[in-house]
Amino acid sequence: MRTIYILSLLLLSGTLARAQDTTHATSAMRQELESAARVATVMVDGDVCQKIVTPLAKEYMFKVDPRNQWMAGDNYDVDDVAFNTTKKTLIRLSHLTSFPSDFNLWMPIDGHAGKIQVVIRNKNEMSQFWRWGDLYQDATPAMQTVLSTGRQVTVMDKPGWISVLAPVYNSLGDVVGLVEAVTRVNLDAHENVK
Amino acid sequence: MRRFHWPILVALLLLMPTWCHASGASLEALPEFLRPDPFGGIVAPDQGGANFRTGLYDARHHVALKGWRGGYVSFQLLVKSPTPVAYSVEVLLTDPAHKIQTDLFREWFHFTDSDKHYYPDALVPVRGVYNSRLPEPDNKIAQQTAQAFWVDFYIPPDAKSGAYSGQARLKYGNNHLVIPIELTVLNGVIPAEDVVTIDHNSYGVSFLAEQYGTAYHNYSGNWFESDQFFHLIHAYHQMFYEHRGIMHQLGYGHAGKMGPEFAPVLAGSGRTLHVADWTTFDRHYGPLLDGTAFASSRRGPRPIPFAYLPINPEWPASYEFWGEPGYETEFVNVVSEMERHFREKGWTHTDFEVFFNHKKRYMGFPWDGDEVRFPKDINYFLEYGRLMKKAIPADSPVHFVMRADVSWDMEQEFKQLRGVVTLWCASGGILSFYRDAPATLRQRGDVVWYYGGPPSVTESSSAITESPLRAWVWGTNGYVHWLTVSPGDDPWFHFDGGGTVLVYSGDRFDLTEPIPSIRLKIQRNCLQDLAVLDSFKNRKPIDSLRSEAAHRFNNTVLDDWWNPRPALADRPSDQWQGSDIDDAIEHTNKALPHPGVMAWQSVHQYALELAGEAK
Repeated sequence: MRTIYILSLLLLSGTLARAQDTTHATSAMRQELESAARVATVMVDGDVCQKIVTPLAKEYMFKVDPRNQWMAGDNYDVDDVAFNTTKKTLIRLSHLTSFPSDFNLWMPIDGHAGKIQVVIRNKNEMSQFWRWGDLYQDATPAMQTVLSTGRQVTVMDKPGWISVLAPVYNSLGDVVGLVEAVTRVNLDAHENVK
Repeated sequence: MRRFHWPILVALLLLMPTWCHASGASLEALPEFLRPDPFGGIVAPDQGGANFRTGLYDARHHVALKGWRGGYVSFQLLVKSPTPVAYSVEVLLTDPAHKIQTDLFREWFHFTDSDKHYYPDALVPVRGVYNSRLPEPDNKIAQQTAQAFWVDFYIPPDAKSGAYSGQARLKYGNNHLVIPIELTVLNGVIPAEDVVTIDHNSYGVSFLAEQYGTAYHNYSGNWFESDQFFHLIHAYHQMFYEHRGIMHQLGYGHAGKMGPEFAPVLAGSGRTLHVADWTTFDRHYGPLLDGTAFASSRRGPRPIPFAYLPINPEWPASYEFWGEPGYETEFVNVVSEMERHFREKGWTHTDFEVFFNHKKRYMGFPWDGDEVRFPKDINYFLEYGRLMKKAIPADSPVHFVMRADVSWDMEQEFKQLRGVVTLWCASGGILSFYRDAPATLRQRGDVVWYYGGPPSVTESSSAITESPLRAWVWGTNGYVHWLTVSPGDDPWFHFDGGGTVLVYSGDRFDLTEPIPSIRLKIQRNCLQDLAVLDSFKNRKPIDSLRSEAAHRFNNTVLDDWWNPRPALADRPSDQWQGSDIDDAIEHTNKALPHPGVMAWQSVHQYALELAGEAK
């Protein structure tokens, strides 16, 4: 009985130690991401971001045709100069972290309060928010906070995920979008390879 | 009694169909196209062929089959019992030379949510004698009174032509029922090369972990690095190859995420970017590219004819450098290394495809690699064409090809990307406007396929043959099923119809490999027939062969398979909408009736008649 008790204690302490390690790692990753996200706010040009999605794409984004369920996607288009300029910046920002991360650009949609779309994703294909394949979705409360206050917000709702939402400003000083700096504690090498 | 004529009684007994067993269980043979249900009937979409139910039997009530060498002959068996019963089934064929091989499969009845009916499709291999009971315990169908089996006879090219005898045997309790089988092996040999390439596309490998949960969860360590995992990938290729098809596996996501099995490991950046490790890539692709993965195939070992490369806008060069000297340097250096590696390995029998699958709607890149809609995006293809030319020596024995999957803008791309893209995978609907395109592209040495998806099990059994036939009628090189390994959340008891699956996981049956489907078998048999039909083009004009096949298939003429060029074809493709395309293909939608259940049997009969002519 005593042996079992000691073994249980050892097992428990081992589990606790591992949990502590994970917590420390998560905390360190969070700090790095938050720091890099602050740089993103400085470096990502909101005026350029506002030029990415074309008027045609915006025009069709919410149109519904019962004969054509893919109408919005078929008409989705971007200005590739603005897209590439911003994407390159986002890729460089991901180099600021010592672990694999993605910096995704999210933009609210004019005339559709509460809606938001991911505009640029990156090569690890991570996001705590994007529903795969959706052109737009509801902005989460955290996203709305960033867009309305300009405050950076860290979200760890999904276990093992860390997303830092950083505001993106244009030359008028308006918050016109946000960057999701994101990583996972345990990467899934095969997810989203499709 | 004195007036009774004994010879007549004996004759009547002999002629009495074996399936008409007065009581207890019975055994019936069915043509491959009549799919049974678990209650002894024929599934609704195949009921148009009910008159053919006894069509397999000859005058002596033997199952009479006929087939060429170098291929398969198929039929089905149906065990029926109104009451629960334990039974065994086996199929035997006597071949003194032991050349002809028999494959027996139990048919799984899938409950299909859309219409609340059962359809057989997945085929569970049976080794030797099948012992079970009705109702089948694992299929869990209340009131099940019939269990179906699929039988394949494989006739190798060197089998002796002539008649072979066999039996299908049912045993239950002390009762034995036998159906005699007569297989006539014809002189002809089915061409080994297919006249149309049928491709089975897939994405990534995470579906394997999902579908082979037993192996995945029981493995200690990283299953994705295990021999088991790589054998499983190869088993999928083997399955499609054995059924006269090919398989593609896309290894990257819409924003460029690379599955570790699909690309060599890179190290460095800019000038120093290089391949650091080929180990995993070679484990994955080596046996496929040298053909050893197919060493045990009845078709013989052969390297896969096509393979996607990992190249995408984010690999090997980082998109961070797009448009800069660093992108070109990274791209050219690594692709050159790939060419050297492939050459040194002797992988010179495969077309390595530079294929861009991404769409801008998935937010990874600012241009459509797949199905260009906006003409400005063509410039990206031209740039990659330039980079490939720089990376690959002109006299390389390794075949690198640029592939484009095209729809909206295909006519422009055929012109503007001439000499850059040489493998085209075209939307069937839009290609139907451009009747001259397949011949034009093939004349300049390009390969042209069109794409679609497998028919649901709720369509007639012949529906799976329509796309291969269309590919042949159109004169394209092949057809691509866009997805064939995704059975849905619960294919066994709540099936979605199978529009994205032709091969199932064997995990449920304690098998570590995939299992085939009825649709895959019917498709294979159709491809055999197409290869035979096409072989007669030296004796008859090809259009005459196509015309007659179309007529037999669904009573159509060749014009019915094409649409007139619509007015929208002369407008820029970014001004089209999807519904415009639907309008533009209305002619074929109306002119081509859905194939009836025996549609392909009629074409098969035509091929047999031609073979008779050729003697």
